[in-house]
Amino acid sequence: MIELRDVSRVFRRAADEVHALEHITLHLERGRFSALMGPSGSGKSTLLNLIAGLDRPSSGSVKVAGTRLNDLSDDALAAFRARHLGFVFQFFNLIPVLDARRNVELPLLLTHLGRKEREERARTALRVVGVEERADHSPATLSGGEQQRVAIARAIVSDPEIVVADEPTGDLDAKSAAEVLSLLRELAERFGKTVVMVTHDPRSEGFVDATFHLDKGVLIDEAASTESPREAHS
Amino acid sequence: MKYLPLILRNLLRNKLRSLLTLVAIAFAISLVCILRTMPAGLNALLEHAGSNTRISVHNEAGLVYPLPYSYLRRVKAVPGVVAAASWTWYGGAFEEEKGVTFPNFAVEPDALGRVWEDWKVSPKALAAFRRYRDGALVGRQTLRKYGWKVGDLVTLKGTLFPGELRFRIVGEIPVERLPTFFFQREYLDQTLQAQGSGLDWTGMIWARVDDPSKVAGVMAQIDQMFRNSPAETASETEKSYFRNFFGMLQGFVTVILIVTALVALTIVFIAANTASMSVRERFREIAILKAIGFRRRVVFGMLLVEATTLATLGGVAGAGASLALTDLMRRGAGGATDPALGPLAGFVVTNAILVEGIFLALAIGIVAGVIPSFGAARRSVAATMREVF
Repeated sequence: MIELRDVSRVFRRAADEVHALEHITLHLERGRFSALMGPSGSGKSTLLNLIAGLDRPSSGSVKVAGTRLNDLSDDALAAFRARHLGFVFQFFNLIPVLDARRNVELPLLLTHLGRKEREERARTALRVVGVEERADHSPATLSGGEQQRVAIARAIVSDPEIVVADEPTGDLDAKSAAEVLSLLRELAERFGKTVVMVTHDPRSEGFVDATFHLDKGVLIDEAASTESPREAHS
Repeated sequence: MKYLPLILRNLLRNKLRSLLTLVAIAFAISLVCILRTMPAGLNALLEHAGSNTRISVHNEAGLVYPLPYSYLRRVKAVPGVVAAASWTWYGGAFEEEKGVTFPNFAVEPDALGRVWEDWKVSPKALAAFRRYRDGALVGRQTLRKYGWKVGDLVTLKGTLFPGELRFRIVGEIPVERLPTFFFQREYLDQTLQAQGSGLDWTGMIWARVDDPSKVAGVMAQIDQMFRNSPAETASETEKSYFRNFFGMLQGFVTVILIVTALVALTIVFIAANTASMSVRERFREIAILKAIGFRRRVVFGMLLVEATTLATLGGVAGAGASLALTDLMRRGAGGATDPALGPLAGFVVTNAILVEGIFLALAIGIVAGVIPSFGAARRSVAATMREVF
């Protein structure tokens, strides 16, 4: 599903070069929940951006859902993201002027669906994540956990194959964080989504199928969960 | 259309800022619309004011240069001229601290009724004007302004000539918007003689020709008569005189139009600043939209529509305000159908001016919105995320 071969990413700042990622080779299978972990500046968010088609590698190849992303134009990448990817961010990043339902509807604006169908799908997605009754509330009136659930609903509403999550529990209390991790786990397990998550949260290791550790832009190792999360959370 | 709810909600995100920007644009557009009525308004003023058979004779060097008073006798003698009168600006101030608040001229009392017979001054008033050396005939506008009536005594302090002159009002000139105050030239002449000088010159001469077809010939003959004299003349019809007079105003109008253009430019900057601020504080949201899959041109379009919607609403409000304001002005002048409305009827915000104003607002929105919208649309999502997340 996701395949990176010898990927490097170098940022140029004035005369300096910052090697954010160096020679990363990675393979993530369909329907698995993977975590990218590492200290700040280790390159995990850069790696996630490459996987999500938000950035391009300086060298190497990024192939996602059978498409090589390196050669796509900005517009083609945007279309690719709309079709194949859902996003969950640390600070929920809901549009504050829209209510929960309209936030969830946003990715559907890029489709040819009519207003009624968009609305129905948004409500379904909110039901899946357990906040349907909050559909007409503005983000400011929702708790952090609820906002992140709405963000997850937005990520899955267009039924993408891949969900990428950047520190989805970073701004949540322990209980809400566990709920969000369970929800992401469920996306992989029940709906067959490939979920890739950047996190600092050590608790996440109990929910994921595999954890990839990075340090200074280099992939250190891959650790499969000792106990199968599928069993642990079943 | 499906993006409209998002655009509208973003417009209302910071209501006060949007309102202030809208008011600034509305103010500028209403100013532009009102100024755009000026050329047509001035033309209407000329049509209203001018006569084809009345001619003015003034110094060729310009209106501020005098003519010898002896010219009046020679102009009267030109075939075709039925009456002629001199006009000498007195520059009297009724309220000294306010300066000259209405035009006042010294004329020959016998000629006034015949040169300006279209004013239809009553024979009784003309007779009184001839009889009383200190008599004054006053336009209706000034009479109303000061609440004067026939028989009142009025003192004007000379700003061009020394001393004061006291007048008795002997009649009204029944022209609705005429402010002019006329008095006997002889009165001014005798007063000046008593002070040791006298009045042997005039500002200009007005003459009435009996037949419009003779006007061109009469003017040519007058100017020919004074050629190579110390004060050569330039004759023109009253219509042409006012056209030239307002021609001097055209320079002023041009200055106003330039200032208006600068105001419009300033409004562009204000609107651009609003658009920039609005975009800057939404970098994160814009990045989210792009991450979700919104293409650059969709993001650009939404932001631009937002800026142009605000500007266009301001334009509609401004154009509407200019319409209401000119309508109010006409009502104040006596109603749109009242013939007494006179030249003010010419200052009309037409449909074409309204459309121009609204299109100008639209253009302001586009110019103001295009750079911040383009910048936000082409900004890299990953770069924004590195900066703001």
